[in-house]
Amino acid sequence: MSFWSQAREISRIDLMVERRVGDVFRIIIPFAIVSLLVFPLALGVDLTGISLIGPAVFWALGILFGMQVALRQAASDSVEKRDLYALLGVDPAARFVGRAMSGSVLMIGFLAALLAAMIILYSPGLPDGWAGPTIAASVLMAIGLTELGTLAGEVTAGLRSRNALASLIVAPLALPLVIGGSQVLEALSSSAGILPWILLLAATDLALAVAGVGLARPLEEASR
Amino acid sequence: MTRVQVLLSLAAIAMIVGLWFAFTAPVDAFQGEYSRIINVHVPSMWLAFLAFGVVAFGSIMWLIRKKPRWDRLAEASAEIGVLFSAIGLFTGMAWGEAVWGRAWDWGDARLATTAVMFFVYVGYLALRRATPDPEARARRSAILGTIAVIQVPLVYFSVNMFRTLHQTQTIRPDGAAMPDEMLVAMLINVAVFTFLYIALMVARIDVAKAEASAAQTQDLAGDAVKAPLLSEVEDV
Repeated sequence: MSFWSQAREISRIDLMVERRVGDVFRIIIPFAIVSLLVFPLALGVDLTGISLIGPAVFWALGILFGMQVALRQAASDSVEKRDLYALLGVDPAARFVGRAMSGSVLMIGFLAALLAAMIILYSPGLPDGWAGPTIAASVLMAIGLTELGTLAGEVTAGLRSRNALASLIVAPLALPLVIGGSQVLEALSSSAGILPWILLLAATDLALAVAGVGLARPLEEASR
Repeated sequence: MTRVQVLLSLAAIAMIVGLWFAFTAPVDAFQGEYSRIINVHVPSMWLAFLAFGVVAFGSIMWLIRKKPRWDRLAEASAEIGVLFSAIGLFTGMAWGEAVWGRAWDWGDARLATTAVMFFVYVGYLALRRATPDPEARARRSAILGTIAVIQVPLVYFSVNMFRTLHQTQTIRPDGAAMPDEMLVAMLINVAVFTFLYIALMVARIDVAKAEASAAQTQDLAGDAVKAPLLSEVEDV
């Protein structure tokens, strides 16, 4: 099997497991949308304030719950499964790429649901032509966050405090993604160029992809 | 005196010299005495950048060579880097409280990105602490140490990337944005802090070696806590 066939197969298996388990669509997305309700309740009936904080809440919850998507139980392999992949001769880099592909699909679905819910619940004053750049930024953020989550999940695999530790690693390292994503809308509102922020997101994604592929073999050994 | 004691003593003397330069250099006309904080703040942040760069270097070398000494180098440098980035953060906040009127300002991208960098390396140290097996610890932290260094250029260039309260780089290719006397005092303190970093690294690496050696000597504690024979304590 070629590298890309292996990656596609890993990705397909991940999505199939997710369809059966339903971590993302049955648990994480509903919980994230419930969290969207908390902010207006805490703020009180201040429609202007709620409308203003909408995009910020979207990015904040996107990161927090996005970490749960990236670190979902279905994406963590048991030692036996890892051994099986190794015996089958699966390239560790293809495993990383496949996992990042399936995770990105789920993350894009999650961010799309969260964005739609935020627009309905918060009625934010979005600038003209917001859809294209916001979708592009969300897709790039989804890819980056998934790559980061996959790396952190592998680094902390098998540890008792895995979830807390992986979140501690992912949250600060996701800073370029949060900045890039949130500044796109900010730039649109102030009629500034969005290209630097899109480039920041793309460069971060690329850097993480290179790190993930380059470190795939040590990552596989580390997670035993 | 041991090598570590000599180095730490020299570092203490160098710190006194650095402080003398810091307190005798002229002050900024607007900021007054608060401008002296730059002599601790800038060297601390420089040390944090240097230390995290060394963490990345040690991590990459461990991944290539798999020698414990590279892991010890990364570990020692990360601990010192976290300490000095905390000092840099707090001195920056103290200066902000005095000059801007508030310790934390969200308009300052440098402050926010530095805090994030600090937490990345706190996570690095937490990962080390959570992994008991030395081989797995070295491998996992080497991977994180290689990736985490991405924060360093982000913090450094944050003042150029965003509209921010923090001034841009003081030393630029077209010259320094401060009088020579202040610049000399600051650069002397940068050199002093760098020497302190080397002394602390040597001391911390020695401790790491002793820890590794103690972990291999299984019967060490057993001998130490062996119950004394009654004949040995008769005259007590």
